[in-house]
Amino acid sequence: MNFFRGVMGGQAAGPQPSGAETIQKLCDRVASSTLLEDRRDAVRALKSLSKKYRMEVGTQAMDHLINILQTDRSDSEILGYALDTLYNILCNDEEEEQGIEPPSTKQADDLGAQFTDQFIQDPEHVTLLLTLLEEFDFHVRWPGVKLLTALLKNQGVQVQGIILVSPMGVSRLMDLLADSREVIRNDGLLLLQQLTKSNAAIQKIVAFENAFERLLDIITEEGSSDGGIVVEDCLLLLLNLLKNNSSNQNFFKEGSYIQRMKPWFEVGDDNSGWSAQKVTNLHLMLQLVRVMVSPVNSPGATASCQKSMYQCGLLQQLCTILMATGVPADILTETINTVSEVIRGSQVNQDYFASVNAPSNPPRPAIVVLLMSMVNERQPFVLRCAVLYCFQCFLYKNQKGQGEIVATLLPSTIDANSISAGQLLCGGLFSADSLSNWCAAVALAHALQDNLTQKEQLLRVQLATSLGKPPVSLLQQCTNILSQGSKVQTRVGLLMLLCTWISNCPIAVTHFLHNQENVPFLTAQISENLGEDERLVQGLCALLLGICIYYNDNSLENYTKEKLKQLIEKRIGKENFVEKLGFITKHELYSRAAQKPQPVFPSPEQMLFDHEFTKLVKELEGMITKAVHKSSEEEKKEEEVKKTLEQHDNIVTQYKELIRDQDAQLQELKEQVSSMSSHNEQMQMTISQQLSQIQQHKDQYNILKLKLGKENQSQGDASQVNGLQTEELTQLREELEELRKQQALLQIQLADKDVVINTLVSRSPRTVCSSGGASPCFG
Amino acid sequence: MAYAYLFKYIIIGDTVGKSCLLLQFTDKRFQPVHDLTIVEFGARMITIDGKQIKLQIWDTAGQESFRSITRSYYRGAAGALLVYDITRDTFNHLTTWLEDARQHSNSNMVIMLIGNKDLESRREVKKEEGEAFAREHGLIFMETSAKTASNVEEAFINTAKEIYEKIQEGVFDINNEANGIKIGPQHPTTNSTLSGSQGGQQAGGGCC
Repeated sequence: MNFFRGVMGGQAAGPQPSGAETIQKLCDRVASSTLLEDRRDAVRALKSLSKKYRMEVGTQAMDHLINILQTDRSDSEILGYALDTLYNILCNDEEEEQGIEPPSTKQADDLGAQFTDQFIQDPEHVTLLLTLLEEFDFHVRWPGVKLLTALLKNQGVQVQGIILVSPMGVSRLMDLLADSREVIRNDGLLLLQQLTKSNAAIQKIVAFENAFERLLDIITEEGSSDGGIVVEDCLLLLLNLLKNNSSNQNFFKEGSYIQRMKPWFEVGDDNSGWSAQKVTNLHLMLQLVRVMVSPVNSPGATASCQKSMYQCGLLQQLCTILMATGVPADILTETINTVSEVIRGSQVNQDYFASVNAPSNPPRPAIVVLLMSMVNERQPFVLRCAVLYCFQCFLYKNQKGQGEIVATLLPSTIDANSISAGQLLCGGLFSADSLSNWCAAVALAHALQDNLTQKEQLLRVQLATSLGKPPVSLLQQCTNILSQGSKVQTRVGLLMLLCTWISNCPIAVTHFLHNQENVPFLTAQISENLGEDERLVQGLCALLLGICIYYNDNSLENYTKEKLKQLIEKRIGKENFVEKLGFITKHELYSRAAQKPQPVFPSPEQMLFDHEFTKLVKELEGMITKAVHKSSEEEKKEEEVKKTLEQHDNIVTQYKELIRDQDAQLQELKEQVSSMSSHNEQMQMTISQQLSQIQQHKDQYNILKLKLGKENQSQGDASQVNGLQTEELTQLREELEELRKQQALLQIQLADKDVVINTLVSRSPRTVCSSGGASPCFG
Repeated sequence: MAYAYLFKYIIIGDTVGKSCLLLQFTDKRFQPVHDLTIVEFGARMITIDGKQIKLQIWDTAGQESFRSITRSYYRGAAGALLVYDITRDTFNHLTTWLEDARQHSNSNMVIMLIGNKDLESRREVKKEEGEAFAREHGLIFMETSAKTASNVEEAFINTAKEIYEKIQEGVFDINNEANGIKIGPQHPTTNSTLSGSQGGQQAGGGCC
């Protein structure tokens, strides 16, 4: 102990030994001491030096410490010191926390990674650590958990790989969640978070080991969203397990765990003064819901999750938050995004959402209240984006909803007394705020998506302008504003609306072309040599003109397909036109919007593309390019080919019908044959029955005859009896005669049937032949 | 939906159409081309002895390189379907699979041997051979076809019946979820935990 005091106390005379020297001495002691107590003291000393002399302890003592873990398994105290020491030299966080002579973080990271590499060089060391975690003693298990977490943080992929192949490795770590000591359970959560990071195989094993059940239990025990950081850690782990892991998502759904999320969102009436922790927890909870119904999941999976979210009342609960007061803005925004994805493409959920009312007086539909925020400049940008997303999701694959929205704009159904969705959208479309213009245009475009009826209906919408002037159509007003040269964002929004509106709808194309100013405006826009900012607008103008060609029914003499193409050739040039059209997809923001449906933009100015619109562009760009390049002769040829193809089709259809008819006939005859033959069988049976009856009668008759003969011989004088017998005999003869007649009759009948069968049998193959004869004509 | 029992299954064996078998059972459809499975989850409800039983099934990878991942699933499973595809190679590997399963699972795990005869034209192993192997190693046996759906239901259900019988005999400790068996929410148990009873109320209210 003297030596030890010398090291620690610094009271010995003479020059102070350097840290490295001291550590070397301690290492020697750990390696060579035969007494457990000595080794234990030396390891304890190393531990106390390990923070200050991290580098030295790490380089000199690591092997000795690992050795201790292997050989001194029976003494939990020394194991604890060794694990603590290893943790101190491997872990990078500690230094930052304690603020002891912080070297540059970069260097510290390197040290941690370097020692981790050294430690895991032999995978057995990780396996050893896993075995040590089975030790129940707090002083072993706790530092063991922390050490493994540090290893995972520093070299995640490698350590994950080692744990994955060690049998029961993951299971053992899962057992930590059941530890009665909270510290271990909570640090176990942190360990599992690191363990499951972007490793689907481990995520699935952890789920298999009942992680969902345990985590949901812990969340409930800790008070759900009111709980502390432990709830947050559970939620982060759940997110790790479910994000992009369809197998685990399926398990989560099938395990009825969606139902257990519902109580998370039961918030009270007074929502002021939420703690930061509660906000964080709710944020993560909402994210978990979104992971289950994300538009990137397979449609079937999302649909069934949406269904159970409605059935268990989760959606209803979320809508309550939506309409509650005092909810912090970022939670409200995220709730809107969540509701959006829970209803997207699900008719039942969309219908429910349409029926939600805000608790105002008089009650207003939630949709209207939300749209008010969307076209309100003072609302936060992210909230307005969220509302737009919600509206888009409400209309996605929802013809009924689209109809209801458009109806609020139609003259016959307008209700002057209340604010309607249509009014808000029109207001937004023509307000002075370009963001509102864009949002309203895109929202309205979604009411028309893949819906020919609504595209035609919307043509009927008339707007009252200033007093004394005649009303102007909505379509006209859009093009008016477009030509007035407003902000790029406004024009892009309007052009996207127009493209969506008239594409696939020849009547709308005609309406658009009917305005004499539109085509000259478009050609001027496209042909001009404008700056970088105007390129997107030029591209969209080219697209709009292209749609006018592609979906043109040639009903306006001045603007037939052919004439418009000639116009492009003369005024713009085919190549120039196609190049301008290409500006759309080449825009830097295009591909970002194409990735996912949610409108997310780093800044309001970058709000230019809509996801659904990018799909339309993808679909139309090639077709329009082809249509513009095609000469009229080629088109005529194509028409002809089309016609001949149609003729061929007709012939084929005719033959198909013929064959179908013959097939039916054949079937009918087959049925007849089979019913005849079964009938015949029955007849045969009756005949054979009757034959056997006749035989019986014959036999009886013979017996009686014999008897009679005998009796005649033996009793010649019994005339009375004999007389009787003669009578009987005549009777029997008559019966016999009768039966013979019957038999003859039946035989005749049988012969008849045979004839019928023969004719049928000979007829049926002939029908087969005749229908078979038709098929070569078809070939 | 409420259930009386929940059983966890795993499907193991070489790459012999295990995923097709699971898909046929859960979705009643056959999809011949399938991505390589690492682990996929499927579930279905069945009825045995008038009781609703929920099957949760983990379909594992057949390739050698994923063998260690598969090992993590043995302990927690109540039943295993060990599948070969009636060719000689996959039949020969059964012994290794069985050793692995016996070594890492709990001793009561019910194992059903399945000859998947989607490759009838390439059959190299007679049905009798499969039967003999099963008899020798104490397994239940069946030949199935994921393609025609023949015996697929029976394979999963018979395995469940065997587990159910073992429960009735008291062989399984049904209060230890680590065995891959869970009692349904509506079942009154003597030592039901707080979380268990809460789960029950919720499952009773909604349905999946």
